[in-house]
Amino acid sequence: MSQDAAVGAASRTGSRHKKAWHLAERPLVWLAPLTLLLFVTYVYPAIDVIRYSFTDATLLNPEYAYTTDSFKAVIRSPDLPGILWVTFAFVVASVILQLVLGLLVAMALHRGVRRRLPGVSVVRIIILSAWIVPGVAAGIVWQLMFNEASYGFLNAVLRGAGLSPVAWLSDPNIALWSAVIANVWRGTAFSMLLLYAGLVVIPSSLYEAASVDGATALKQFWYITLPQLRPILLINTVLISIFTLNTFDLILPLTGGGPGRATEVLALYTYNTVFRNFDLSNGAVLAVVLLLISIVFTLIYVRLLPREL
Amino acid sequence: MITGQWPYGQSEERAVAHVVVSQLYKKYGELQVVHGVDFEIGDGEFMVLVGPSGCGKSTILRMIAGLEGVTGGEIVINDRMMNDVPPRDRDIAMVFQDYALYPHMSVRQNLGFGLKMRNAPRAEVEATVRKTAETLQIEALLDRKPKQLSGGQRQRVAIGRAIAREPQVFLFDEPLSNLDAKLRVEMRTQIKRLHMSFKVTSIYVTHDQTEAMTLADRIVVLRDGRIEQVGTPEELYARPANRFVAGFIGSPTMNFIEAQVVEEGNGLRVVPVGGPPLAIPKSRAQRYQRHAGRPVILGIRPEDVTNTWTEESRARESAVPLDVAVEISEPLGSDTLIFARLGNAEIVCRASGMSAPVSGSAIRLNAHMDRMHLFDPESGMAL
Ligand SMILES: Nc1ncnc2c1ncn2[C@@H]1O[C@H](COP(=O)(O)OP(=O)(O)OP(=O)(O)O)[C@@H](O)[C@H]1O
Ligand SMILES: [Mg+2]
Repeated sequence: MSQDAAVGAASRTGSRHKKAWHLAERPLVWLAPLTLLLFVTYVYPAIDVIRYSFTDATLLNPEYAYTTDSFKAVIRSPDLPGILWVTFAFVVASVILQLVLGLLVAMALHRGVRRRLPGVSVVRIIILSAWIVPGVAAGIVWQLMFNEASYGFLNAVLRGAGLSPVAWLSDPNIALWSAVIANVWRGTAFSMLLLYAGLVVIPSSLYEAASVDGATALKQFWYITLPQLRPILLINTVLISIFTLNTFDLILPLTGGGPGRATEVLALYTYNTVFRNFDLSNGAVLAVVLLLISIVFTLIYVRLLPREL
Repeated sequence: MITGQWPYGQSEERAVAHVVVSQLYKKYGELQVVHGVDFEIGDGEFMVLVGPSGCGKSTILRMIAGLEGVTGGEIVINDRMMNDVPPRDRDIAMVFQDYALYPHMSVRQNLGFGLKMRNAPRAEVEATVRKTAETLQIEALLDRKPKQLSGGQRQRVAIGRAIAREPQVFLFDEPLSNLDAKLRVEMRTQIKRLHMSFKVTSIYVTHDQTEAMTLADRIVVLRDGRIEQVGTPEELYARPANRFVAGFIGSPTMNFIEAQVVEEGNGLRVVPVGGPPLAIPKSRAQRYQRHAGRPVILGIRPEDVTNTWTEESRARESAVPLDVAVEISEPLGSDTLIFARLGNAEIVCRASGMSAPVSGSAIRLNAHMDRMHLFDPESGMAL
């Protein structure tokens, strides 16, 4: 029965848009510019990095030969386990804290908006401003906050309160946590924003039904808010992991990776390998490792998206 | 269809509740939406709050539930003042207009949620869920999520979630308004059956007068945050307190005709503007005597201007022949609605049978004047 209809439809569209660009039928036409752009700015550099990882190139010597020695060197490097551990701790702590803090701030903000409290938008702007501060600037800000010289803000506060100052950046056991605090300070806004968007769309009638059903505020949080936020929490986790994994601009001015290698995360190690040791090929290998980890997270993210949202 | 006991516990031991609402006020900022409402709901009574959109029905219901604060007045359930009691301690259950099922929980978990929140033992929750599902015939759906249900099924689950709780009071906020017409009628009957078997005090909000008439033991008619009348469906239908209630209850709506009461030698008549005089039956003459010579609004329901005689009207000679000019007729099957002109007024009549008269023709119907109403043109109050 649909044969006539189909023929009819075909001839109709054919005659009406004779000169039109059939964009829907020719995806290549409109995808081409984007593809080209992506290729030039993303794919080509990535391929080039992969290519360098199979060489013995250095920044000092323009000549290079192809080899897999760099991979072996990086894997055998005695620094690598420490670096990976620091990276892991930095990412996990940042993710957990950003989720928890982001959720707390988002819930407070949500409450404030619902009760029409004054000043809510000011709070929102302040939190967001932390997010738009460039990583380097955030690193410098926190370097001043943590500074152990007389102008260091936190220690001044501690001294004022009669407590002994803390070696925020020079104690290897504390420095990583200081870096985490700075990173969380910067990243919480993003996490808050996502979670706030998630909170806003939870129908208020669910809370009303639950409160009539006998649920206390805590149980409402556990049985309504958390399950309703589940997809956002998952996606947030993946995104924060990717962001944090690639963070080095914050740590560079804060600690430079020190003391020792206490705060040298993988991204910073990569940077140092290339721009301090001028070892392009080993740096490229590390970049490839970073890329692979990021790709894994991205795949998780892509898998989560359609199912959970 | 609906069988058995209250899902759990013994039905004899079940507490029944009465609800007293007195001088209830609600303000949103400067906007006053409920203006001093009083009513009382007896043990096991089914009370319907009805009124046009925006009249404050939901607001009143939500105040009773505790979801909305009270600006003034009192809500008392079983002699306990509830104004400051949180919803979870009021022992009520509510069915929401959008059902508000928990989307991330299965039907089974939805049904058991209230009991779980009250720390009922697991076995008891399970038994109650099973009984409830049986009662509402949703056993097959227990493992589905709300998303996988049709509107009618969701409706059942929402009702099931409320009854599984075994509350003292049921609150319904337009629970049928999202269903199609056929399902609505079906679920209406279902709710009525449930209430007849469980006899739990219920407060039901709707803007649909048919729902109100069919379900209610008593009805509260609201307009603009005020009560217009409280009464049984029969009372509201037969003796509306004012023109608003008269127009709101009954379908098609009552005809309102500008008229004048006149006294003639042999009795009292009401004369529609531009129309023939209609004799007021003796049973009403005394009541309307004092309005002689005054303009009034004559109210008469479509079903009381018809082509049949009742035994009663024949005996009392209260049916007055009425010649009307037919404009349109709409056959409904069992009846035919006739839109006609009476003097200056447009009226609707309801003739029995499918005999649709031709447009433009004149036909003779009977106006059952013993069911007439007169209203004051200014205040709208029944005379
Ligand atoms: N949160 C609120 N803030 C301000 N005004 C409100 C609020 N909720 C309701 N109102 C107003 O109160 C009045 C009564 O609302 P309510 O929801 O009780 O009406 P309703 O009778 O249930 O109507 P409907 O049949 O459309 O559901 C309306 O004028 C509405 O605009
Ligand atoms: Mg409403």
